[in-house]
This record gives sequence, C-alpha cells and structure tokens, in this order.
Amino acid sequence: MLPIVLLSILGLVVLFLGFQKSKNLLLPATLLVLAIVLVANFLHWNDMPSLYFKNMLFENKFTMAFSGIVIFSAFLIVALTRGFVDDESAQPAEYYTLMLFSLVGAVMMIGFENLIMLFVGIEILSVSMFILTGSDKKNLRSNEAALKYFLMGAFATGIMLFGMALLYGATGSFNLTAIKGYVMANNAPSAMLYVGLLMLLIGMLFKVSAAPFHFWTPDVYDGAPTIFTTYMSTIVKTAGFAAIYRLLSGSFSGIYSFWWMTLAVITVLTLLAGNITAVYQTSFKRMMAYSSISHAGYLLLSLTALTNQSQSAIVFYSLAYSIATISAFGVLMLVAKETGVHSYENAERFEAFNGLGKKNPLLAFVLTVSMLSLAGIPLTAGFWGKFFVFSSAADRGLTWMLVIAILMSTVGIYYYFKAIIAAYMREGELSAIKVSPFYRLILIATTIITLVFGLMPDFLKGLV
Amino acid sequence: MNYLPSDYLPILIQLGLALAFIVGTMLVTHSIGPKRNSKLKDEAFECGIESQGDARTPISIKYFLVAILFVLFDVEVIFMYPWAVNFIKLGSDGFIEMILFMGLLLAGFYYIIRKGVLEWEK
Amino acid sequence: MIPHLLSFLTFHPLVGSVVIALLPNSQKEAFKWIAVFFCACQVVVSAVVYYFFSTQTADFQMVEKADWITLSMGSLGTVSIDFILGVDGISLPLIMLSSVVMMVGVFSSFSIAKREKAYYSLYLLLTTSIMGCFLALDFFLFFLFFEFMLLPMYFLIGLWGGPRREYASIKFFLYTLVGSLLILIVMIGLYISVIDPYESELAKTMVHTFDLRLMTDGRNYLPDSILTPSGEITLLGVPSRMLAFWLLFIGFAIKLPIVPLHTWLPDAHVEAPTPVSVVLAGVLLKIGGYGLLRIAYPIFPDAAAEYAFTLAILGVISIVYGGFNALAQNDLKKMIAYSSVSHMGFVVLGIASLTAEGLNGAVYQMVSHGILSSLLFLLVGVLYDRTHNRLIDNYRGLISYMPLYTIITGITFFASLGLPGFSGFIGELFTLMGGFQSDRLPVWLTALGTLGIILAAAYFLWTFQRMFFGKPWAKNPTELPFLSDLNRLEKWMLIPLVLMSFALGIFPGWLFSLSDKTVSHLLKIFE
Repeated sequence: MLPIVLLSILGLVVLFLGFQKSKNLLLPATLLVLAIVLVANFLHWNDMPSLYFKNMLFENKFTMAFSGIVIFSAFLIVALTRGFVDDESAQPAEYYTLMLFSLVGAVMMIGFENLIMLFVGIEILSVSMFILTGSDKKNLRSNEAALKYFLMGAFATGIMLFGMALLYGATGSFNLTAIKGYVMANNAPSAMLYVGLLMLLIGMLFKVSAAPFHFWTPDVYDGAPTIFTTYMSTIVKTAGFAAIYRLLSGSFSGIYSFWWMTLAVITVLTLLAGNITAVYQTSFKRMMAYSSISHAGYLLLSLTALTNQSQSAIVFYSLAYSIATISAFGVLMLVAKETGVHSYENAERFEAFNGLGKKNPLLAFVLTVSMLSLAGIPLTAGFWGKFFVFSSAADRGLTWMLVIAILMSTVGIYYYFKAIIAAYMREGELSAIKVSPFYRLILIATTIITLVFGLMPDFLKGLV
Repeated sequence: MNYLPSDYLPILIQLGLALAFIVGTMLVTHSIGPKRNSKLKDEAFECGIESQGDARTPISIKYFLVAILFVLFDVEVIFMYPWAVNFIKLGSDGFIEMILFMGLLLAGFYYIIRKGVLEWEK
Repeated sequence: MIPHLLSFLTFHPLVGSVVIALLPNSQKEAFKWIAVFFCACQVVVSAVVYYFFSTQTADFQMVEKADWITLSMGSLGTVSIDFILGVDGISLPLIMLSSVVMMVGVFSSFSIAKREKAYYSLYLLLTTSIMGCFLALDFFLFFLFFEFMLLPMYFLIGLWGGPRREYASIKFFLYTLVGSLLILIVMIGLYISVIDPYESELAKTMVHTFDLRLMTDGRNYLPDSILTPSGEITLLGVPSRMLAFWLLFIGFAIKLPIVPLHTWLPDAHVEAPTPVSVVLAGVLLKIGGYGLLRIAYPIFPDAAAEYAFTLAILGVISIVYGGFNALAQNDLKKMIAYSSVSHMGFVVLGIASLTAEGLNGAVYQMVSHGILSSLLFLLVGVLYDRTHNRLIDNYRGLISYMPLYTIITGITFFASLGLPGFSGFIGELFTLMGGFQSDRLPVWLTALGTLGIILAAAYFLWTFQRMFFGKPWAKNPTELPFLSDLNRLEKWMLIPLVLMSFALGIFPGWLFSLSDKTVSHLLKIFE
C-alpha cells in the first residue's frame, strides 16, 4: 500500500512547492512523484495477495495492475498539462496536489476490502474532482458543471451510504470476505441485503456514468476544462469499475442470479443511450462524453458476464480506453487552443479538426489511431479490449447482449469517424500548430502503446 | 432480543402526534388570530430604526472561509475525545497515529496561513 | 521451393508503403515508380507461386506457420492465434488475378493529381491486406486483413473521390463493417468451440485455435460447445450452427454484394476514382465469394447444404435485379456497378449448387469478372479523364472520335455479356450448368438465372449503340475537342487485359486444372 502513503506525503510536498516564486518546478516535481509512485506500486508484484491496515485494504496483481493503469494515466495527463493550467488565474500547485490526492482515493477504491474504505476512497476522489471541474473560475459553464456534479454526486453518495448501512444491517459486517461468508451461508438472504446491494450499485454506477444515471456526464464533461475532463473520463471510470468488480466478484458472486438481470438491463441501456446520443453531437468534447458512457457499457457487459476472464478483460479494456482517450483529448487541447483564438464557440466542435491532416500530419495521425482504438478496429488496443469483453460475454452465453453490443459498436464507428473525416476530408484554415517536444513525445508514446497492444495483446494479458 | 415491526408502533404514534401538534397549532393560531394590517401599523414604533434596503445583502466571502475553516478544525475534536478516553488501551500505536493526524492537520493549518486566508485586510 | 514465399508476397508492398510515406513530398515521380515496382514485383512473385504450385493435390501448399499470440483465458484454457499462410486451388487464381489488377490499377493511378504520397502509400497498404486476406489460413488473421482492408479503401474513396465521397465512403465502411462484425461473432463462437488436439496434448490444457483447417474437422469441436457439430444447441430458437452460417453468409454477402445488401456498391463506385473502382470491382468483391468458399462452406457444410435453395434464390435475385437496374442507369459507372451485382450473382448460384461444375464455375467467374470489370471501369475512366462526364445520354457516335476506344469497349462489352470465346461465357456457362445439374436446386430457378445473360446483352448492347453509333454529338459541344483516342499508357493497360480475357475464354481448362482438385475435395464433405 506504498502508493497511498507516498501519494499523500508527496502530494503535500507538491502543495508546499507552490509557495516558491517560480512555478516551473511544479510540473517536473509532480511527474517525478507519479513516476516514483508507479514504481512503488509494482514493487510487490510477485508477492502473495495480502491485506493491509487491519484488513481495510487488499492487494494482489489485479489491484496493482489497476493502480498501475490509474497512476500511469495520471502521469500522461499531468504531462499534457503544460500550458493549460499555468496561466495567471490558475493555481497549478493546488491542481497538481488535488490530482495526486484524488489518486489516493482511486487507489483506495481499487483495493478496498472494507466498505468504509470504499466510501472514503470515493469521497476523496469525488471531492477532488468537484473542485477540479470548477477550476476554470471565470467560465460560467465550468462553474455550472462543478455545481451539477457536486449536487448529483452528493445525492448518489447518500444513496450509496444508505446501501452500505443496509448491507451492514443484513450481514453484520463491512468486510467483503465476511459479507461473502454471509451470502454463501444463507440460502435466502434477507431482503435488506438485496436492497442494500442495489442501492450501493446505484451509487457506484452513478460514478461511472452508467445509464440511467448518466445525465450529469455530458454537461460536466463539457463544462470542465478539457484536461480535467480527460482526468475524469479515464481515472474516475477506471477506479469505479475496479471497485464494482471487486464488490461483485468479492462478495456477491454467490447471488449472481439475483443481480445479473439488473446489471444486464443497465448495460443495455448504457450501450444504447451512450452510442445513439453520441451520434447527434456536434461538439467533439460532448461526443467524447457520450462515448465514455458507451465504453462504460462495454465494461459493464464484462461485469455482467463475471467469468474468470472478466478481470483481465476489464484491465485490458480500461488501459486501452484510457490511453486512447488521453491522446484524443491531447490533440483536442492543442487544436482548441489554436482555434480558440479565433472563435471560442467552435473550439471544441468537430469542425475544429477541419484540415488537420494537411498541416499537422502527426496530430492527425495520433487522433486517427485513438479514434480507431476507441471504435475497436483491429490492430489497435481497443479491438482487443472489445474482443476480450465480447469473449467473456459469449462464454457466459449472453448472446442477445452480445448482439446489441456489437451493433452498438458499429454505431460507434460512425461518430468516431466524424473526427477522422474532419481531419482529412474537410478543408480548414488550421495552420501548423506548434507542439512542444515533450508534448509530442507523450502523444507519440500513447499512439505507440495503442498500436503495440493491438499487435501483441498477450504481452499485457499474460501478466494479470 | 427480536423486535417485530409492530413493536415500533408507539414511536410512530409519537411521531404522528408531534407532527399533528405542530401543524395543528400553526393552523389554529393563523385562523383564529385577528389580522389588521395598515401602513402605519407596520412602521417602527417609538424605538427601532427605519428599515433601509434589502435584508439580503452580500457578505464578504471571508466570513464563509473562516466559518468553514472553523468547522474543519473543530471537527477534529471528535476524534480526540475517543482517543483520549482510550489513550492507555491504544498504547504507542495510537499515539503515533494521533501525531500523524495532528501533523497532517498542522500542515493544512500552515498552508492556510501561508495562503493568507486568515488575513482580513488584504 | 523458396522459404517464406507467401509472407514475402503478402508483406513486401508494406515495405513500399513505408518507403513512400518516409520520402519527402516533392518526390512525386518517385512515388509512382516505387508503387509500380512493388506491384510488378507482386506479379512476378505470384507467378513464382504458380510455378511451384502443384495441381496434383488438394492440400494447402507452401504453408507457413508461426506462433503469434497466445492468451490465457482462465477456465477456457488458452487461445492460440497463429500466423498461417497457405495457398490452394481456390486462392491461387484469385492471387494471380489480384496481383494483375493491382498492377493495372497503379498505371491507372497516374492520373491522380493530389496528395500522391498518401495515395500510393495507402494503395500499397491495400495491396498487402488483399493478399493477406487470400492467403490467411487462420481465421483471426483473415479477419484482421479483412477488416484492415477497409481503412485504406475508406480513405481512397473518401479523399480522392467525387463530390459525394464522404457519404459514399462512410456508407461503404459501415456496411462492410457490419458484415465483419457479424463474422466476428461467429469467430468468437468458433474459437470457443474448437480446440487444437495436438497442441492441447502438448500443453495439457485446452488450446483453442483459430486455425481454419482445424475448424473444418468436426472431431476438433468440444462436445458441449456452442457450435458443436451435433447441432443440438439452439440460440433464440434457431440451431446455433444455422445461425452462425447465416451470420457468416450475410457478412460475406455484403462484400459480394448480394441483393438487398448491395446498395453501398453503386455509391462507392460512382464516387471512387477510376483505379479505386477497378480495385473495388476487380478484387474486393471477390473476397466475399472467397470467404464463402474458404470459411462459410467448409466449416458449416450442414447449414450450407440445408439452405442451398435459399442461397440460390438470393443469387438469382441478384442476377435479375442487378440486370434490370443496370438497364435503367444513365451513369455509365452505375450501370457497370449493377452489372457487377448481376455477375456476382452467378458466383452465388454456382456456389449454392454444390456441384463440381458450379464451384469451379464460381471460381472461374470470379477471375473472369475481375478482369472484365477492371476493363470496364478503366474504359469509363478513359472517357471521364477527357471530359469529366460519364452520362450515357451525353454522347453519340463516339466511334468517329475514338475508334480504337470504341473497338476495345465493344470487345469488352461483348466479353462481359457472355460471348463465347471470352472468359465471361465460360464462367456463366459453368455456374448455370452447375445449377441445372444440382439435385438441390429446381430447374426453373436456374432457368430464371439465364435471364441475366439476356439482360446483360440488352444493357451492354443498348449502351454501346447509344454512345458509340450514330451522328457524332455531345450534349456539351465544348467537350468534343477533348475526345482524343487512347494514348500509349491506356493501350498498355487495356490490351493485355483484353488478351487475358480472350486467352481464358479459349483455354478455360488451364484455370479449371488449378481449382479442380481443391473443389472436389471440398465437395466430398457434402456427400
């Protein structure tokens, strides 16, 4: 559990670094912290699964892989912040610190063994996100987004807490293993357990923006500064799914027949709502918000199946999705900054990419690869993510859901290709965008990772 | 000992009575009391100051900051009480944990001071 | 024997693609000649493959196998995806066809005048994926090439196409993608069901495989698996194997294309630039037919036999519907696109007949149609390059401006409508013969199919008469000075193809000798 300790302490250090006159040190320091934490995370890779902090936290390869994804994504996102949070009104030290602290929450959510820990983790993550969403203080939409996110999030947390209380009432414990023991021992658990589980699930599905709890997502993702939208759509989602997986597989696999239908309906709704609404978006950022809903649907499909492949399928899918999302938003930030000078209105629409392919072949290529990966075209990591998810669903025999998911992924291709069409087939007056070498390096790295995992998925799949 | 839902009935009745009493008295006083409003009657009489402007005036954000900081640092005491009561039982582990906790709080306190949140005139 | 010959055949255009992408933008001439070099190289290599190919055996030849991806899938055991290439009597004719068509396509691409670098790079990428598709013997590898083919094609139509290119390219992409996703479903079902007995013995666990050769053998299926040959498992009330067959069929039928899944084809052809049309009609459509012969039929023979009648009906509907539509078109390219639909219907009819004549005829018809449709689109390209107009109504009496063009068009039209002595005749004859001989198909159905030949005669001859005979006239007289006869490059593209069609029509036995062994081996499982 080194990452939690390190992130908390080093986060404070970064916060106090902000008192220095020169802010130039902040970004390298944050990156250094994340690099250290990433290494520390994998120190115990070969150890046996173990419990920490008086049975509050659990650590095995799965949680380490997930923490690794979250920390690595955070590293990439922080690396892309240069020039986006260090203008005069912003407070970079606070933002970086909040990001680091939110990671603490994410790691807790991934490794929780006790429902209290889950709650604490979700709160740490969410509160940080509420603030970061509203960090563009002079922008009305950012404020609106933060307020919406806060109100809805608080409500969802309330429901979740209620659910936990009911579970405690039913089983007499917050401990996952103890709850599992209760579920296994009782053939007909009390109604309280069922209601508690459902309420807990509702709260968590809200966090990962599954339909019908997704209505906040587009507004919040759209209003938040793009860099934090990236953060939300990757890290919050990844941690949320890890938590749901741990909850369902750790405690409630015994009553699969009870919750699978609920989750199946939610999955189908999420797939339909995310994909179909995304088709009608004119803003790229909003489209990405709906696309994140649809990806939540695919991940839920694997959770609904809950076979023993689901675990590695979720790990792989989250990584592929996070990397592709980061590079897509990375390109969007550069382009929006360039076009935003002329007209703020168009900065985040699909039209912003018009003519990208001509003057900025690298950016266009990065965008294309990330869109292909999100769409699930072979030879990208996204394809394998979908493949594993579909395989686990097929293994469980969820044929009708599989058909819906596959149809919806065709719909997905339509809207992802809108960005590619804009980049290559539309004329635009976009001039050559200056990209700093470091930024360029990160974008190339994400693209290469996507392609390498597309070609050799066993490289990662074999690990977990 | 097992409680049946029907065992909670007295509480429910109590709750109902309490609600009924409040709502009832409010309704009754409003309906039987005489109401005669005039401009003269609503003015400040003998003592009191002439009312000026709207009651809802903007208050400096600093009030809120101080208020929220008060809440934040006040709540910590909740942790101190049980810790103090069980001081012997928790032993050195408990002591170290509390030192850690206080350390984090002090770090936050230092941050607030450095940020100048507590300086009223700035 | 040369080791790794097939890998070389598949991947060497990729080298060209990368080289072109790395060269500076100013080297416009170099791009062309690099592309020509690599396509010529492909023709030579496919000739070498032909040289080493033995017609005495039905087995796959020159097989290359390498481990690629091994995934541990928990309780499922492990999944092994291999890199397997091989050639047999069905793929060899198509390989030779596609190398020739790609070569001609490069020459035709010389008229492309914008973003040459990207164009030739994508073109060579397309070449690689087409070859890979014909050679892959691992279902996953096949799927990969099948799917990957879409991307270069999408950009080739979308970037260099006509005014409605965006619509046409995304329509093409989505249609084919739906098809390939249906194939993906079956692929997942198959790999869950099939294990590699030899590898499983070695690894002491269940090794699931994508090897197409193993999928054809019912003994390799797990007894309780979803696609087990005993056929007891039902999904949504339909036996799972029947469902899987239909999913595969729809996937390939979109590519083929079969009415009513054909609507992307006229749009794509009309908007695509000439060389892309040539490749699309000449090679890409064949992958649909090839997929049926390589995957759908050998793996699901029970379903194929059961639904032979339905499939044949679909084929005949395509023949007739495509023919009538071609008759109604005013746009020359659309007319040819619908004639493609009609001609590919013969392929389905031949395959559905499940007779040696029918299947050999289907392979033959694919090759023949590859050559003839390439010719037709090249001829349209000649006219379009000169006037940027290709409406049939706009021209009369072209013979007096372009005599050689008229002659070659005439020959091609006659060859396409099935004049004996040309390849089209043999292909149609054998598929129809197969249809008549098959005891699975009623005679009236195949008789209805012959209507396609009559319709072909009608629309080709009528078009020919309208455009080339009569008083010289053009709707827009300013176009007349541009109507010059064929230049040297065009002659070099067109005449060899005409000769090839002629040679195949005179010596059909040569092509049949290649495919015959494989086809009769395939038919054994239907007895």
